Amino acid sequence: MHSLSRRLLISVSVPLALFFGVMMLVLDSGFRALSERSIQEVLDSEMVSLVAAAEPQPNGGYAPTPRELDPRLARPRSGLYAEIRSQLHQWRSPSSAGLDADFGSLLPRGERNLAYAIIGHERVAIESRAIQFEDDPNGTRGLTFSVAVSLTPYEEQLWRFRQQLIGWFIGLMLVLLIVLAGLLRWVLAPVRRMEREINEVEEGRSDALGGGYPRELSGVATNLNALLIGERRRVTRYRDTLGNLAHSLKTPLAVMRSSLPAADAGGAVSHEIDRMSGIIEHQLKRAAASGGALLGQAPVEVAQVAQELRGALLKVYASKDLAIELAVAPGAQFVGDRGDLTELLGNLLDNACKWCKSRVRLGAAAVESAGPRERLSLVIEDDGPGISAENRARVLQRGVRADETVPGHGLGLAMVHDTVDMYGGTLAIEASPLGGARFALRLPGR
Amino acid sequence: MRILVVEDEAALRETLKTRLVEAGFTVDVASDGNEGMFAGQEYPLDVAIIDLGLPGLSGLEVIRRLRAAKKTFPILILTARDNWQDKVEGLQAGADDYVAKPFHFEEVLARLQALLRRAGGWASPQLKCGPIVLDTRAQTIAVSGVAVELTTFEYRILEHLMLRAGDVISKSELTERLYDQDFERDSNVIEVLVGRLRRKLDPQDALKPIETLRGRGYRFALPRDAGS
Repeated sequence: MHSLSRRLLISVSVPLALFFGVMMLVLDSGFRALSERSIQEVLDSEMVSLVAAAEPQPNGGYAPTPRELDPRLARPRSGLYAEIRSQLHQWRSPSSAGLDADFGSLLPRGERNLAYAIIGHERVAIESRAIQFEDDPNGTRGLTFSVAVSLTPYEEQLWRFRQQLIGWFIGLMLVLLIVLAGLLRWVLAPVRRMEREINEVEEGRSDALGGGYPRELSGVATNLNALLIGERRRVTRYRDTLGNLAHSLKTPLAVMRSSLPAADAGGAVSHEIDRMSGIIEHQLKRAAASGGALLGQAPVEVAQVAQELRGALLKVYASKDLAIELAVAPGAQFVGDRGDLTELLGNLLDNACKWCKSRVRLGAAAVESAGPRERLSLVIEDDGPGISAENRARVLQRGVRADETVPGHGLGLAMVHDTVDMYGGTLAIEASPLGGARFALRLPGR
Repeated sequence: MRILVVEDEAALRETLKTRLVEAGFTVDVASDGNEGMFAGQEYPLDVAIIDLGLPGLSGLEVIRRLRAAKKTFPILILTARDNWQDKVEGLQAGADDYVAKPFHFEEVLARLQALLRRAGGWASPQLKCGPIVLDTRAQTIAVSGVAVELTTFEYRILEHLMLRAGDVISKSELTERLYDQDFERDSNVIEVLVGRLRRKLDPQDALKPIETLRGRGYRFALPRDAGS
């Protein structure tokens, strides 16, 4: 029931089925009434001709003269049967010969009666009339004439009619539903297009919804676009503001720090400046990390970011004889903010460069079998001293104090942990086959 | 060593200048990007410190334009936004290293010295040419393991010659690196200083570490030790 078109189809086909059902009942009962009337007419006319043909017999009974007998009454099991009965005598049509037939009891004078019974194995309608002839040579009082007609042909006809009716109605309903489904597809096409375009925006393949929506939806599309663009602008402005804030908070700290006499380098003031700067850095970075909430961003090529960082780090660590190997699968993409990825990889690679003897390796690949939140696998490892098992948990502790617990693995790692959390990914610290630490990350990717 | 400091915050600019002068640098200052561009193009600099958050012409743009103008001296960036996006942009634009604010001056100094060494093709902070060893961190000189006392000016000239050991360095270039921009330049002070250096480093006149190339300048003639 979570699809609009299914809802519409169901809500249309239920009344349609009801309508057809009632129609069928009405038509069926009409057809039955019609066939009953035609049975009645057959019975009436047979009755009249039987009465007209009846002649007194020498034995005191009545029987039709064979000449005037309806041929069907003469043919055995023809489906038309007759009986003329009085108190003492009984005549039955030759058609009922050998059949166990009960035409009912004698009727009192002036009565007539219509009944249903079974003759042989057929259902029949029986009309009986009590007749008193004016000139009654045999003096028989009270004759009962009965005519029975088989219902089988009518029932067969009714059955055929019903079959045809059901066939037609089912066919008609199918055609209607198919036409309806087609119409729905057409009517709902803009909705499906909107869904597809929203998906594209979400996956970063386009940055806004297209135009040309029907009047009812164009408002929604326009508002969505305004929201997307506004949100992007807001985040950009937000980051700029945070950057300016960082600049204007830290420059005075830098002035304070550099005006300290050289002897105070490790003193209390210097320590507090470190702390303040750490807090500013941590909080501003937390605030600036988007956590992937931003829609309509193109996925980030990991290879490109990795190349840039490699170039930057080789410059920064120019005096250290190290090699940064990139094993980035072509097409490995990060679904999220480029700045966040640069920050994550920058911090981890910087740490690795700091601690390694000579080798740092970055591996990246898309794991097709994983969920969308963990599709990108990143591995950063080095051949340095590594991180002992008991320190691994502490290294990732959040907050400003993390840098005091494990010297050297500063705020950067806490920041990495926060960002990974924000994206709903995972982060594990292991021992690298290279000999040092191995950071294994899972992030939203493609 | 002649250094340019481009920093818009006056207090920080002045303290940096004071500390750098104490550390033996000749310091030019600029308070915005345009001034920085001018100084970077006009003065014979050995190294520059450029703040990324400059008003007007941004620090990033200054670096790009200086590199486009074929200025190859090393550049150290100062950044308040300690994020990798900015660092990567700065380094890609042509900077050589970065320091995040608020920095320890000692760290800035260490980075500058490392950049200068690297610019001269030295990997280690100790410059070794035969028996002469110059330690850029401690600013000390030893000849065959014996410490030699030098004056500030003597040290600066020797450091400059040794950093670019093998290159010919003109007398005016040495003068510019010793004095601020407004100092009167034509004096034979360099000749006097080089003469004193030769006597202190090589009293027996056996090593001949500093060559004079008439009309062109001086060259530190001892070959660099392999691996340094």
